[in-house]
Amino acid sequence: MQAILALMRKEFLHVARTREMLMLLLALPLIQLIVLGYAITTEVKHLKLVVLDLDNSSMSRQLVQAFQHTDRFDFKGYLSDEAAVGNYLRQWKAQVAIVIPPQFHQDVRRGKMPAIQLIVDGVDGNAAGIAQGYAAGIIQKVMGDVALDLPWVLKQKRVSQTGQVVLLDRMWYNLNLDNAFFMIPGLVVVLLTIVPMMLTAMSLVREKELGTLEQLMVTPLGKHELLLGKILPFLLLTFLEMGGILAIGQWIFHVPMHGSYTLLALFTFIYLFTTLGLGMFISTITTTQQQAMFASWFVMVFAILMSGFFIPIENMPPVLQQLTYLNPMRYIMSATRDIFQKGSSLVYLSGDFLRLLIFGVIIFTAGIVKFHKRLD
Amino acid sequence: MLSPFNRTWAITRKEFWHILHDPRSLMIVFMLPVIQLIMFGYALNFEIQNVALAVINYDHSHYSTELIDHFRGSRFFSLFFPDVLPSQINQLFLERKARAVLIVPDDFGENLRQGRSVAVQLLIDSADPNAAQHIRNYVATTVQLFNLNQKGAVQLPFDVRTTIWFNPELKSAYFFVPGLLALILVMISALLTSVAIAREKESGTLEQLLVSPVRRYEIILGKVIPYIALAFLDALLILFIGVVLFHVPFRGDLLVLLFLTLLYILAALSLGIMISTIAPTQQVAMMMAQSSTLLPTLFLSGFIFPLESLPRILQYISYVVPARYYLPVVRGVMLKGNTLGDLIIPAAFLFTLTLLLLIIAFRRFKMGLG
Repeated sequence: MQAILALMRKEFLHVARTREMLMLLLALPLIQLIVLGYAITTEVKHLKLVVLDLDNSSMSRQLVQAFQHTDRFDFKGYLSDEAAVGNYLRQWKAQVAIVIPPQFHQDVRRGKMPAIQLIVDGVDGNAAGIAQGYAAGIIQKVMGDVALDLPWVLKQKRVSQTGQVVLLDRMWYNLNLDNAFFMIPGLVVVLLTIVPMMLTAMSLVREKELGTLEQLMVTPLGKHELLLGKILPFLLLTFLEMGGILAIGQWIFHVPMHGSYTLLALFTFIYLFTTLGLGMFISTITTTQQQAMFASWFVMVFAILMSGFFIPIENMPPVLQQLTYLNPMRYIMSATRDIFQKGSSLVYLSGDFLRLLIFGVIIFTAGIVKFHKRLD
Repeated sequence: MLSPFNRTWAITRKEFWHILHDPRSLMIVFMLPVIQLIMFGYALNFEIQNVALAVINYDHSHYSTELIDHFRGSRFFSLFFPDVLPSQINQLFLERKARAVLIVPDDFGENLRQGRSVAVQLLIDSADPNAAQHIRNYVATTVQLFNLNQKGAVQLPFDVRTTIWFNPELKSAYFFVPGLLALILVMISALLTSVAIAREKESGTLEQLLVSPVRRYEIILGKVIPYIALAFLDALLILFIGVVLFHVPFRGDLLVLLFLTLLYILAALSLGIMISTIAPTQQVAMMMAQSSTLLPTLFLSGFIFPLESLPRILQYISYVVPARYYLPVVRGVMLKGNTLGDLIIPAAFLFTLTLLLLIIAFRRFKMGLG
């Protein structure tokens, strides 16, 4: 026991002595959290819009004005010809262009149904789809307003007097659709993966690289004690880190916690077996810190991508969806988010819990076994 | 006496040997991007599909059947009809069985037959707010379509024709494969160089290098050159896979892209060098490189989320993220056929950023060891 404490002290001293290290360990994740908490918004706003108005009537201006009164579009001005439209889109100066044909207002009045052209830059497929939806919505509203002034439309309206289906929608859990409520619990998980896994792997490999692992092995420390002394500081650090993240989540982003902190701590504890185990495992298959860093980087990117952190798993092709079941982070991700937002109890999360436990036991055991083999 | 060129070359050779003697790292440097590109390329898809929509239908008329048929037609929803009481709806969300619940009241058909309006309820699990918004919009559109079909088309005053340029099928891969080039290059370049000098510091060999006749800038230059070559090879590999496997079109000039890619690699390497002059150990260097590249490139460059949607302050921070300038370059050349003239502004910014990082690095390198 005393031996473990001594090794832990060494490890802590090492961390504390390199002041940058301590600062980085504690501050970097928190800074990332603050920046990204604000950054991660899937809302699409301020789309750059240009207009080629070949009609130049009050009706066409009414249409353009509707686009100026929303923060979804930033009106960048009128263009003079089609070539300019092409240039603006090609040079990233506009994402959406509206072309209003000549004689637009006359044609509308005569009921000839002229067509407005909506040109969207499709490079960002997601934003393009959303932009199209926004524009269609705005144009539809203008259509309604324009139609009210037209005698031939009014006649039709009176004829069609059937009932309408009205949609009453209600949001559960996140009434104002605040993105931070969704992303911050996710970021908690990401940071809980990066910190313990990378640091364990690199701290174990460092002793190997500097040749001090042999020195530690000839000390009276047992193998288990050696490992425990190496791992425990990171376990403590992780919990400290988590406290900081939770505090920032609540104070700055007002992320509500509908579930139990005890349950969250329990899940975190179980999950740490996986991340620490992975760290150990990586340390045994690598010989330099650079290799360890790359290996943990690879595991991390894979884990984050396949966890549903920012790409919903349902969107993925079936093969990849199957692959996500092999990713422990998938389970801690969904469980953490459910605890925060839905206040789920262990009853609903037992599936996640069981899988995390199994992954934890397997990976941690594999890590220890491999590490011991290495030492022999 | 050796010339500066010879001395630089000696360091370069040493660093090259260091890389070649470590086949594991070398394999990682080339295999990692390929695997990541393939996985990301297939996985990154923001088109929502198969949303589990629970329908609770209390109505037995053909009206409600028709409404539900409107939902059946699309890939967006996968419908199911749970046998639950209204008080048990919460459980559908807690058990993650449904993302949204549509409730059709028992007087639905009767009201519509009589020409009265009637409300249907939609409950959405908004734990994922983005998905929730999409679900709401999609259901609203579907209901609107049902309404239109009910009363026969009303003639509209005018029509809208939408044309989508550069990526008419809105393929995610066209957007993300060029983006991944930016992400992978910055991570490889910055991570590799940041540990390159920190490694010498940690093992105490930097002092040995410094007392040798090699000048400081020669050390830095010599250390960087091998990684320029490595990163450039990586870039070619990624481009090749993107075009062959994901069929991303290449409409511009390859030479323009390669030239600007080199500039981008230099910016990323300078970032790595700057970090390594600050960081005392490899561990610190790695942490700094990791946190200044991975997440900022993902979220503060336009890689996934449009820059214009970010809060003002973050838009300012994004000016020091190199990928911010490289993304319009690589997407522009590949998808829009941009010429060098179109891209002069991002190129100039990239150049300035590289210069700035290098100046800081040289200053730190002098001070830190002087």
